[in-house]
Amino acid sequence: MNNAIGKVFLFLLLVLGTFLLIGNTVTNLTGGEKKASGKVEISPEGGESIFWGKGRCFTCHSLGDEGSAVRCPNLGQFGEKFLMPIGERASERAIERSEKTGKHYTATDYLIESLAKPDAYIVDGYKNEMAIVYAPPISLNLDEIKAVISYLQSQGGDMDMDAINNPGEIGQKYYARIEAATAAGGGDPGNGEEMYIDNCIDCHILKGEGDEVGPDLSNISQKGLKFISESILFPAKKITEGYETYIAIEKDGRKHVGVKTSETATEVELIKATGEAITLLKGELKEITLDKGASLMPVDLTEALTVKDYQDILAYLMMQKQAADGER
Amino acid sequence: MLSSVNLKVPFTSKSLSWKIKSGLIVIITMFLCLAAFEAIAQEANEYRQIMDLDSRKVIWLLAQLHLFFGAFVLGVPLFAVIIEIVGWRSNDNKYDALAYEFTSLLSVAYATTAAFGGLLAFALFTLYPTFMGYLAGTFKDVMFYYALLFFGETFALYLYYYGWHWLKDKKPFSPSLTMIFRTLGGAVLLFGAAFFFHGLGLEMRGDTRAFITFLYIAPTGIGLYIIRDRKSVHIFIGIMLNVVGTAIMQLANSWAGFMMSPAGVDEAGVLTGSLWQAFENVLATPIAIHRMLGNLAFGGLVAGSYAAVKFIGAKTPEQKAHYDWMGYVSNFVAIAALIPLPFAGYYLGREVYSNSAVMGNNMMGGDFSWTFIIQAMLVGSLFIISNYYLWSGMTRIPGSERYYKFIKYILGALILSFAIWLTPHNLPLTGQEVGDIGGSQYHPTLKFMGLMPAKNAVVNLIILSTFFSFLLYRRGNKVDSVSIMAQGRLAKIVISLAGLAAVGMVGQYGLNLLSMSPSDLDLPADRGKYFDILAYLLFFECAAAVVTVILALRDKGKLAQGLYLAVTAFSVVIFLGVFGFVVMEKASPLLRNVAVSQFIQLISCLILVSTIDAFLFRGSKIIGPLKWGQMTIRSQYALLLLTFIITLNMGLMGFIRSGLRGDWHIFGIMRDTSQWSYTPSNFVMTQQVGLAVLIFMVSLAFMFWLGSIAAKGYAEKDQRLEQENAGNTE
Repeated sequence: MNNAIGKVFLFLLLVLGTFLLIGNTVTNLTGGEKKASGKVEISPEGGESIFWGKGRCFTCHSLGDEGSAVRCPNLGQFGEKFLMPIGERASERAIERSEKTGKHYTATDYLIESLAKPDAYIVDGYKNEMAIVYAPPISLNLDEIKAVISYLQSQGGDMDMDAINNPGEIGQKYYARIEAATAAGGGDPGNGEEMYIDNCIDCHILKGEGDEVGPDLSNISQKGLKFISESILFPAKKITEGYETYIAIEKDGRKHVGVKTSETATEVELIKATGEAITLLKGELKEITLDKGASLMPVDLTEALTVKDYQDILAYLMMQKQAADGER
Repeated sequence: MLSSVNLKVPFTSKSLSWKIKSGLIVIITMFLCLAAFEAIAQEANEYRQIMDLDSRKVIWLLAQLHLFFGAFVLGVPLFAVIIEIVGWRSNDNKYDALAYEFTSLLSVAYATTAAFGGLLAFALFTLYPTFMGYLAGTFKDVMFYYALLFFGETFALYLYYYGWHWLKDKKPFSPSLTMIFRTLGGAVLLFGAAFFFHGLGLEMRGDTRAFITFLYIAPTGIGLYIIRDRKSVHIFIGIMLNVVGTAIMQLANSWAGFMMSPAGVDEAGVLTGSLWQAFENVLATPIAIHRMLGNLAFGGLVAGSYAAVKFIGAKTPEQKAHYDWMGYVSNFVAIAALIPLPFAGYYLGREVYSNSAVMGNNMMGGDFSWTFIIQAMLVGSLFIISNYYLWSGMTRIPGSERYYKFIKYILGALILSFAIWLTPHNLPLTGQEVGDIGGSQYHPTLKFMGLMPAKNAVVNLIILSTFFSFLLYRRGNKVDSVSIMAQGRLAKIVISLAGLAAVGMVGQYGLNLLSMSPSDLDLPADRGKYFDILAYLLFFECAAAVVTVILALRDKGKLAQGLYLAVTAFSVVIFLGVFGFVVMEKASPLLRNVAVSQFIQLISCLILVSTIDAFLFRGSKIIGPLKWGQMTIRSQYALLLLTFIITLNMGLMGFIRSGLRGDWHIFGIMRDTSQWSYTPSNFVMTQQVGLAVLIFMVSLAFMFWLGSIAAKGYAEKDQRLEQENAGNTE
């Protein structure tokens, strides 16, 4: 019996040795060991460590012969399809973007845009599938994004650190977008907009669209992240003046709950959570009372949203001041 | 004969005390932890080290070892109970003795699992205090239940193992007592039905509802319903042991799932929803389903390796015969669990993608793409070696030479499928190499082999081939099939029910597809035709199932089996393999429905063909009995290799699952800011997993060796007592 265990042990060592050999071969084939990147400087070297590490850019992009990803464009000079590296390519793209939008793009603006709003320009033959790098799980901060931009610019382009740190109007607008999203815990404003349309637009006005059951959110970012966050999670905690919930009970017992939109000596108008406006004659009312502990906004909204969706909506709402000033 | 080779693990007060202490370690640790820490996700994280070791690697190793032992302890009772039921129903003590022998392996492993669990908990709370403080704060109620369930598991296991002989009597209970149990069981089953069809309980995902219904409520109801003697009470205890074990696993999985897909909390990690939301996060149940099947396969193969070692060291033909049979049953259990495992994996992967596209891309196309290539090598090897073991087993079956000719074709299909499964979509190429193959980074032909439709098709072919091997094995020594018509009503009813189940499963999904609108998958209206094609293919499969049943009931069973196997193979491998590429190009989101269609057709085929096979060769004349024990030593090394590979694969998949979070403790909520916050290379993974496997296997061998010493001691003691008794009688 002991002899059998000895033989099996040797066999096990052989199998484990083969497993280690495979692991070692695969690691050597795919670029060796990686280590954690600490705080990086805004420099091509810092950007390089993010590109191949924390930023996970290598998951979808190769750079010339480096890397094996093909999901998104190669950012180096590679084959017939990519005759110029991205630093050089960005200048041509900037001209293209200028013609398309009527605004003056620099190469730096193009690179900033491609990281801040990747769906603004999709390279022919590729899909709109780039992750928002300042949203979880990648969650790069603005300095890290600037470092990546400097790294990309160093690939055959003219390095302009001043333009990266202090870009023109287009770049500033995108930096503001990134900062707003970062302030909201790092959400994806693009997905946040979709979530907003699915869940909020029936009751709130934003950019002139939606219903007015709840407050206008066009300038909501001024109220700050804490207020927005609490308003979604605990809608009744702080109700904006003019949007308090009233309960009206008619003499025949019928009950109506809504926000009071107007009141005269004889009538009162309520707008219900469904958006339906009703006019009630005061003479037919048994009572109408203010319900301080209630809000028309659904309290179970978080059940319909994942944590990510919630973060994305926060990011989107945090942009609304900046959007009014700049982007829109 | 069996008693002479059975492994008897001694039950002494000392061993029990040690086991209870181990259990207490876990429970006390958890209560200390729950009381000691309170944190929220956005506090600055604190990390500690012991002896200047890499804390992540320490946790990794301990967690892996705990999981290996835990998987074994949870997996073995699953099939031990099934084997016991077979023995009870067939009145064959051989099965009962085998189930007991499997269970005896648990006794030592259970205490070690608990000890590793305690060590892991201590290490987590001391090395990662902020993270664990947050997790314990959020899941304090669940952790409390988790600790309590350990009592249930401990008592159920002891009752099951030590009550084996006490509850072996098959003398029927009084009719009134039997009726009480039947009524109770029926009530539980009715409750289960109401629960499953959304009549009762909390709001939850369909998969969680199905998991609770089929793994908790239904087994409990069936267990109560079948109680009619002391033996069936023992079986019920075994079922409860599995129910509690599964619940322990599900609770712990909810934390792992929460770390990957947090729910019910805000951006700072503060619980804003209900604890149930956090518990039932998107990935919790898919992970639990995958782990459940994995545990079953793993438990089967570890038990198989025990049998293989005993076979290699066996001195007598009786011992060889017994351990050969034990190895065969173990391998059978493992294959049965391995067959649906790729689909559970696909489902889990799909949910990972839905949870986070970045996570999904990182899984299949980022840090872990090459890890998946290694995984494909391991899983492919599992299937090929399992088949090899079956083919080797045919040498002990008189008459099976008739079927040897098929083996080369099955092997060809397996190797071809394996090669396609291993083919990556693209390879790391230089600009020069890209120019050489026509300017594209994809190989003109091989690029198709690297895509999901090709991989899904070959996974189905691998499973069908393995199933075909099993069919050949089963009929190895049978002279010919027997008449199904002549077998009375039972055969007709069971085959018709199997056909109905196949038609029901496949047909309802076809109807579901017809009722879907392309807009449900964000597709334009003109893509509806792809939904229709898929639905009509499923209806065609239903028609084939109906014809199969009719043929089987008209004594054309072999033709029926051949027809259904051929239609299924054509549908899932060839038609949907090609159609998958069309769908990928024109209606990509529908691809997941194509995969589900393949799975449903395959499962319906396995059910219907197996059922027909059971009656087709029921009591048929045999060329000769199976010559248990006449197996090559090589085949036993194949069994061992299977165990090593599945253990390595478990470790590898654990690395992927955990590594998918990247540099987050709780994905998107609590960052890992430690110095180890990066994804280790595949070489580091193989070192860590290899070390864990080595320690696990050596520990296991040590336990089995201890057990064999004790069994030897007991056998000698029994013999002495028998001799003394004989002397006294004289």
